[in-house]
Amino acid sequence: MLGVKNLHKSFGSNQVLKGIDFEVNEGEVVAIIGSSGSGKTTLLRCMAFLEQANDGIFIFDDLKKDIRSISKKEIKDIRMKMGFVFQSFNLFRNMTALQNVMEGLTTARKVDKETAKRKSMEMLAKVGMSDRANYYPDQLSGGQQQRVAIARALATDPEVILFDEPTSALDPELTGEVLEVMVKLAREGTTMVVVTHEMEFARNVADRVIFMENGVVVEEGEAKKVLSDPKEEATRRFLRRILRKEEEE
Amino acid sequence: MENIFLHFGDRFVRIVTILIESFPKLLVPCLKITITLTLFSFFFGLILALIIALVQVADIKGLKQFARFYVWIFRGTPLMLQLFIIFYGLPSFGIFFNGYIAAIIAFSLNLAAYNSEIIRSAIQAVPVGQTEAGYMIGLNYFQVMVRIVLPQAARIAFPPLFSSLIGLTKDTSLASSITVVEMMSVAKRIAAVYYEPFWMYMEAGFIYLMICTILTKVQSSFEKSMEWKQPTDTSTEMEALKGESIREDRGLR
Repeated sequence: MLGVKNLHKSFGSNQVLKGIDFEVNEGEVVAIIGSSGSGKTTLLRCMAFLEQANDGIFIFDDLKKDIRSISKKEIKDIRMKMGFVFQSFNLFRNMTALQNVMEGLTTARKVDKETAKRKSMEMLAKVGMSDRANYYPDQLSGGQQQRVAIARALATDPEVILFDEPTSALDPELTGEVLEVMVKLAREGTTMVVVTHEMEFARNVADRVIFMENGVVVEEGEAKKVLSDPKEEATRRFLRRILRKEEEE
Repeated sequence: MENIFLHFGDRFVRIVTILIESFPKLLVPCLKITITLTLFSFFFGLILALIIALVQVADIKGLKQFARFYVWIFRGTPLMLQLFIIFYGLPSFGIFFNGYIAAIIAFSLNLAAYNSEIIRSAIQAVPVGQTEAGYMIGLNYFQVMVRIVLPQAARIAFPPLFSSLIGLTKDTSLASSITVVEMMSVAKRIAAVYYEPFWMYMEAGFIYLMICTILTKVQSSFEKSMEWKQPTDTSTEMEALKGESIREDRGLR
C-alpha cells in the first residue's frame, strides 16, 4: 500500500539511507526501531516528502514511480491520504485543539464547517480530549497535545498514519496515555508505521518490526520473533542496550 | 529682593500664559499633520513591508534580489536625505510633490525597509514543524502561509512593529525640513516669537510624549488580546456537541 524500494538519502556527504526497501500493507502496524542516527526518522520523512530522497522507487496504492519524479501535485494528493504524527506534536499554536483537528477538513478539503466540527469532536472524543476542545496547545500537557495531534491526523480518514517517535518528547508518566490511544487505533485496524523506542509497544501492538542501523535494514520480521529472538548480532546488541536503559529508569 | 520676586512672578505668569495660549496652536498641527502623517506612512509602509518580506520568504527569483537591494538602499541612507531627494531632488526630473505627500512617500519607503526585516524575521521565527504539519494535513503553500505562518508571525512581529510606529511618530518632525507645517515647526516658530525656546520645546515634547504614552497603552492591550489563551466559543451549541462526544467517548472505551 505504501512503500519504497532502494531508497537513498544523503545530507551533504553524509549518507543516511543506503538503499532501503520498505512496505506496509493495509491494516498492518509496522514498527521501525533502531538507535538514533540509524535513519529511521529520515525514512519516515522521505515517505511523507518532508525530505527529498536522492533515489528510489515510491509506491502508494496504484502509484509506482521514481521518487524524484513525483510532482508537487502528486505529493499533495498523497498527503491527502496520509496522516503524520510528529515527535514534537506541531499543533498549530494559533488554533484551539478543535480548530487544529478541523483545519485539514475545512481548509484543505473544503468540508462544510458543521460536518467538520462534528467529525472533529468525534475524533477528539476518540483520543479522550473532548473536554479540552477549546484549549490552545500552550494550555495542554505534552501527552494531551500529542493526543490532539493524533486526532488531527485521524480526522481526514487517512489510509495510513506515520508516527515519528510520538512519545519521545514526553515525560515518562505521559507516554502511557498516548500509547493507549495508539493501541486502540491499531486494534481498530488502522494502517500505521511507527518509528519508536517503545519496545513494549512494538512487541504487543506491531505486526512487524524493522530494525535499522547505519541507514540499512538489518533485520525484519514478525514483531515477537524479532524482539525476543533476533537473528542478527546488531539487533541483539541494540535490544540489550535498550533493555538496560529501561531497567535503569 | 522684592524686585527679584516680582520679576520671577511676572516671568512665571508670562510663561504659563504662553504655554496655555500656544497649546492649541501646537495641538492642531499635531492632530492634522503629525498624526495623519504617521498613520498614512505606517499604513503604506506596512503593506510594502509585507510584500518585500513575502517575496524574500517565498524566494521568488529576481524579486528577492530586488527586495534585498531595496532594503540595502533605504536602511543605508539617512531618512533626511531620502526626504530631500524626493522633495528637492525629483523636481529636476519634472516630478513634483507637495511637502506632505513627499513626506508620506519618504516615510513609507523608509519604514518599509525596516519593517520588512521585522516581518521577515518573524516569519522565519515560526518553527518549521508548524509548516510541515500544515502540509501533512493537506494544505498548500498559500494556505499554510495564511492560516498558520502569518498569524503566528504577526504575534511575533507585533511588538517591534509597534516600536517602529512609535519611532515614526517622532520622526515625522523631520518633515519640517521640507516645508511641512507639523508640530515641530510650529513650536519653532512660536519659540522664535516669544524668545522662550526652552518652554516651547518642552511643551512640544510633552505632546509627543503623550501620544507615545497612548500608543504604548494601545500596544499592551493589543498584545493581551493576541494571546492564544483561555477557552473561546462556549456557546450552547458547542456544549451540546461536547456532551455528545463525551458520551461517545465512554461508549468507545
